[in-house]
Amino acid sequence: MALILGMDFFVFIAWIGTILAAIFCVIYGIYYEYIKKSNNDKDNSSKSINKNKKEVQ
Amino acid sequence: MDVLFFAIFMALFAGVFAFLGYLGYKKTKTAEDYYVAGRKMGPIVIAFSYGATFISAVALIGFSGISSVYGHSLLWLAFLNIFVGILIAFIFYGFRTRKMGLSLKALTLPELLGNRFNSTKLQATSGLIIAVFMVFYTTAVFLAIATLFEVTFGIPYWICVIVFTIVVGLYLIVGGLYAVMWTHAIQGILMLIGMVILTIGIYMMLGGIGPAHEAASMLTQEDLTSMGWTSIPSGFTTLTSFPELFSPAYMLLLTLIFGVGIGVLAQPQLIVRYLSAKSEKALRRAIPYGGIFILLMTFTAFSIGPLSNVLMINNGLSYPGTPDKVVPLIVNELFPEWFVVLFLFAVLSAAMSTASALFHTAGASIGRDVFEKSLMKKCSEKKSLLITRIATLGIVFATLIISLNPPDVVAILTSFFFGLMACTFLAPYTLMLYWKKISRFGAWFGMLGGFIFTMGWYVLIYFKTAPELIGRSLTENYLINMLDPIFIGLPLSFILTIIFSFLIKQDNEEIKSMNLAFENI
Repeated sequence: MALILGMDFFVFIAWIGTILAAIFCVIYGIYYEYIKKSNNDKDNSSKSINKNKKEVQ
Repeated sequence: MDVLFFAIFMALFAGVFAFLGYLGYKKTKTAEDYYVAGRKMGPIVIAFSYGATFISAVALIGFSGISSVYGHSLLWLAFLNIFVGILIAFIFYGFRTRKMGLSLKALTLPELLGNRFNSTKLQATSGLIIAVFMVFYTTAVFLAIATLFEVTFGIPYWICVIVFTIVVGLYLIVGGLYAVMWTHAIQGILMLIGMVILTIGIYMMLGGIGPAHEAASMLTQEDLTSMGWTSIPSGFTTLTSFPELFSPAYMLLLTLIFGVGIGVLAQPQLIVRYLSAKSEKALRRAIPYGGIFILLMTFTAFSIGPLSNVLMINNGLSYPGTPDKVVPLIVNELFPEWFVVLFLFAVLSAAMSTASALFHTAGASIGRDVFEKSLMKKCSEKKSLLITRIATLGIVFATLIISLNPPDVVAILTSFFFGLMACTFLAPYTLMLYWKKISRFGAWFGMLGGFIFTMGWYVLIYFKTAPELIGRSLTENYLINMLDPIFIGLPLSFILTIIFSFLIKQDNEEIKSMNLAFENI
């Protein structure tokens, strides 16, 4: 079987998959930090939840 | 290696950590401060603390050694470490766990279970299971690191164990989770530096990624045997290709990859990190840092393992006998002395960070989940903190005593910690987060069913543990006895949880707890 960067196909998939998974983590962070800003408003900080609870009580 | 190096670096280490322990002590005013760092932690500290807790010395030294034998196929575990251990864990478990923890005012995993199902007995039982097995896991971490330091510096094993335990125990008991997570950030940075330099150094010695992997792929079984390998795993092909399908080597990889790769989702010491986040945004921001951290830890460790064989042949070195000694041998023989010290302290950081997280979780399990909530019912914040600090001291002391004279069973118990935690807690924990109809009895049966099955499998069937515990496995078929119990125990636990939730439904108190749990979701 032909080797890719010295690895067989199935091992190469794991190798590149690991790097891509890490890149996806970074893209996820960038997406939520800079692109999907609207969600930030819904962010429930511990303080706001505690405040809500007090109000309900 | 000079003992003076050890003394100077250890004093520096202890000094910095003692200072952070003091800062943590100043900030720790309430039980919430001690258990979940006041729920005020930011993304970088969460990511480093999660990573440093996750990646122990066993992962760096032990698993890179295993990859030196089983090859780059172990990179599938690195993939799962990021994909499951970071992405799935944070996105599907972290956010909900944090919200539910806030609603239920839970500070530990057992407390989350106990409050969600309105059962202090469930909380106490979970706490007891976690504490008992964590003591052995921590013992194994100290055993590995103290042995490494004994070999390198020539310092007696018992001195290493006492020094490491006292240093970790001190800053943990005084400073609580604040001190633990801050020290994790420093330890994580040291681990990163050590692993990055080691990886770059090894690839440079071998001419880059392509040439290094090609050199590893060209090593024949005869080359490896002549270097000192005593046996080649059955089904082994080359260091850069997957073993033959369903061969013993394939089964072992399957066990390691899924046992650890999936098991990470139900580790109580990691779940606490979600509860410590100051906001959902902080958890989201921790994902990129966590992904990069794990990439630079396990991906590098599993990549360099197989390449160590090429380096040993190129430099006329013999195989050191066991996989655990492969990377230390390469570092000792082929790297400058300053890096040997740096690497040892990076490994020590990995051990200390995992140990401190385990001590903290085990202490909280005994102090809060068993004593305070189940036996004492109600007590003041001050008393609660005191009980947990005393319980943690007891855990540290028990670990020290066992570490000084470790029975053989310690190493065996460690090997199944991840799988055991997953088979015991993952089903009730997952369903608790997503299914409103899960009942207390469903959680009990799922938890105990998974626990009993897994313990039974390890004692009677599993090829590594059964021979040590009862003389031999009940079956000689390697397709069965090499199978990690997670493949059966986890689905079984899910099935039991679902079936008994349908058979014995929630009572009114449980429904109230469930409504409270989903209040902010």
